[in-house]
Amino acid sequence: MDLYEYQARQLLEEQGIDVPKAVFAQNSHEVAEAAEVIGYPVVIKAQVKIGHRGQAGGVRIAHNRDEAILVAEDILPMTIHGHKVSGVLVTEAKNILHEYYVSISVDRSSRDFDVLATANGGTEVEEVAKQHPESVKRLHISALEDFDLDAATKMAESIGFYHADSNQAAQILLNMWRCFKENDATLVEINPLAKIGDPDDEDSKTLCALDAKISLDNNAAFRHDGWKRFADPIVPDPFEQRAREHNLHYVHLRGEVGVIGNGAGLVMSSLDAVAFAGEDQGTGVKAANFLDIGGGASAQVMSESLEIILSDPQVESVLINVYGGITSCEQVALGILEAIDQLGASKPIVVRFDGNKAAEGLQILADANTPNIHVCKTMGEAAALAARLGAHGKEEQQ
Amino acid sequence: MNVFIEDNAPVIVQGITGHQGMTHTARMLKAGTNIVGGVNPRKAGETLQFEDAEGNTVNVPVFATCQEAKDATGAQASVVFVPPKFAKDAVVEAVEALFEVVVVITEGIPVADSAYFVELALRKGVRIVGPNCPGLLTLPETADSNGVNLGIIPDGIVSRGPLGLVSKSGTLTYQMMEELSDIGFTACLGAGGDPIVGTTLLEALQAFEADPKTKAVMLIGEIGGNAEQDAARWAAEHMTKPIVAYIAGFTAPEGKQMGHAGAIVSGGKGTAQDKKDALEAVGIKVGRTPSAAAELMREVLASQA
Repeated sequence: MDLYEYQARQLLEEQGIDVPKAVFAQNSHEVAEAAEVIGYPVVIKAQVKIGHRGQAGGVRIAHNRDEAILVAEDILPMTIHGHKVSGVLVTEAKNILHEYYVSISVDRSSRDFDVLATANGGTEVEEVAKQHPESVKRLHISALEDFDLDAATKMAESIGFYHADSNQAAQILLNMWRCFKENDATLVEINPLAKIGDPDDEDSKTLCALDAKISLDNNAAFRHDGWKRFADPIVPDPFEQRAREHNLHYVHLRGEVGVIGNGAGLVMSSLDAVAFAGEDQGTGVKAANFLDIGGGASAQVMSESLEIILSDPQVESVLINVYGGITSCEQVALGILEAIDQLGASKPIVVRFDGNKAAEGLQILADANTPNIHVCKTMGEAAALAARLGAHGKEEQQ
Repeated sequence: MNVFIEDNAPVIVQGITGHQGMTHTARMLKAGTNIVGGVNPRKAGETLQFEDAEGNTVNVPVFATCQEAKDATGAQASVVFVPPKFAKDAVVEAVEALFEVVVVITEGIPVADSAYFVELALRKGVRIVGPNCPGLLTLPETADSNGVNLGIIPDGIVSRGPLGLVSKSGTLTYQMMEELSDIGFTACLGAGGDPIVGTTLLEALQAFEADPKTKAVMLIGEIGGNAEQDAARWAAEHMTKPIVAYIAGFTAPEGKQMGHAGAIVSGGKGTAQDKKDALEAVGIKVGRTPSAAAELMREVLASQA
């Protein structure tokens, strides 16, 4: 789960890392009030869980109340790269002398944690790594060991913090590590970690986290009270919301073919197969969603899943692709019929069963003799038929 | 020695008395796996009854700890069906008891916990498979031995043959086993769909390369991370046996977790196309669908014959 900047900075602040004064606001009145408290000029930053918001006009400076209200009214209704702005962070403007980048993340390849830092901060670290690979320093922390002040100091010195800052930088790295561990984060990134202050006054210079990105491990929610304090104020997609209430793995996509399967890999593979078929047939038809009913799904789970899919107005046809391992195709068949019965659904449903109780499941469907159920022998045939029926439905609507 | 573990190896089940543990212990025994005990500290001393492949009653004693179970039974492997909250302690206990193989089926373990027990296992020379995986299936080397079915892979899809299979996904494993069931396998390993796993795609390739009976390997990857790229890089230098691959998730959107905790494209990294390119760059053929990958495997085998 990604956090908003205003939530991420709160976690850094809890570990004693300096952040600028800031207030989260959700309307122009709150923005003006916050700016009065902080003092002009202020930076007003869109709160969205996506990068490059600056280029999209989501970060602006305001020098007085009128400007602050205008900027707030500009940014608050924005949708940036498909993400609706949830509010703005009103922050004090700082005089930036230099920008660094520091992050700690899970390293999937080396199966440990990765501290990354460079004195060329402020931009995407991937870009820096391409242009100045020598400036990016990396340190691995084993899951069996800890990150201590010694290691943090060495790291801080290696990236070329100006001498006076390296003690503070080391402390920040150490506090970031605590933030990472204590919150079960998968990423803690400060970019920029800025040196701020009066260029002519050495004593005024200090390091401050001007922007932060934190991702938390969904699997660890059970030991953090379900991450309740980070509940997203943006109402999620209504279909994703319904699926979540039923504990289903669902992702809403833009396409015509509703897809249901068991197992994440098989469902992903089904989405690809539908899109390839749409390409081959020249219709450009794609999957409308990802929905994994999981292992050992009951008829009820299947029926709820199909109800969610069929309530999506963009869905013209449905592909149900099940390889029964623990899951019984018999249960899946019963669930399909139950949903059709309850909804009186007439959209075409293409079914492919294999594995556990596949013959029994197909028999149940055959006995029901429902005209809109089509059975295919292989996943490829099923995806092709579902794509064709999806394109047909779309044409009829137009 | 078969791939990963020897035939007829004695096995224990952690979390045996739970619903999952009971269901799959019964299944594994029916599949011919030599289950000799279970672990649950609260039910230690009890004996559970199951049936083996021939329908004979099998008494499975429950022990308080992994070490006790190992000492009493000589078990070489453990299968873990313990819920996420308690999984770290359970797996650490199994690693410290020094089983050769510990298969972790549990889905939903925090990545910090997995990182911990995986690193511990690497240091102690214990092979962890998973977490969040369907397990490990080996097919018997001889007519009078039994392979192991450790986890939830359905029995009876495949028999012994020259292929090795490693996959990040459960149902795609079964799908591919079915596609190539006429050729058969030495072993099928579900590596798991989490960001950190005990046996990576690369390590599975190493094991199949070292096994003299395996002649070719099918690799099934999916979006997220670099495991496929790491495997491709290693294979380019060290693998003498042909590999055919399939990758799922070409149409997965950026930033969305597709079911598995590890299946996510973030910051433009971990895409299916990147993985396909990396594999093809070192001469590994990649099928567009599971069936197409199976077809490529047939061609590879035919060209070798």
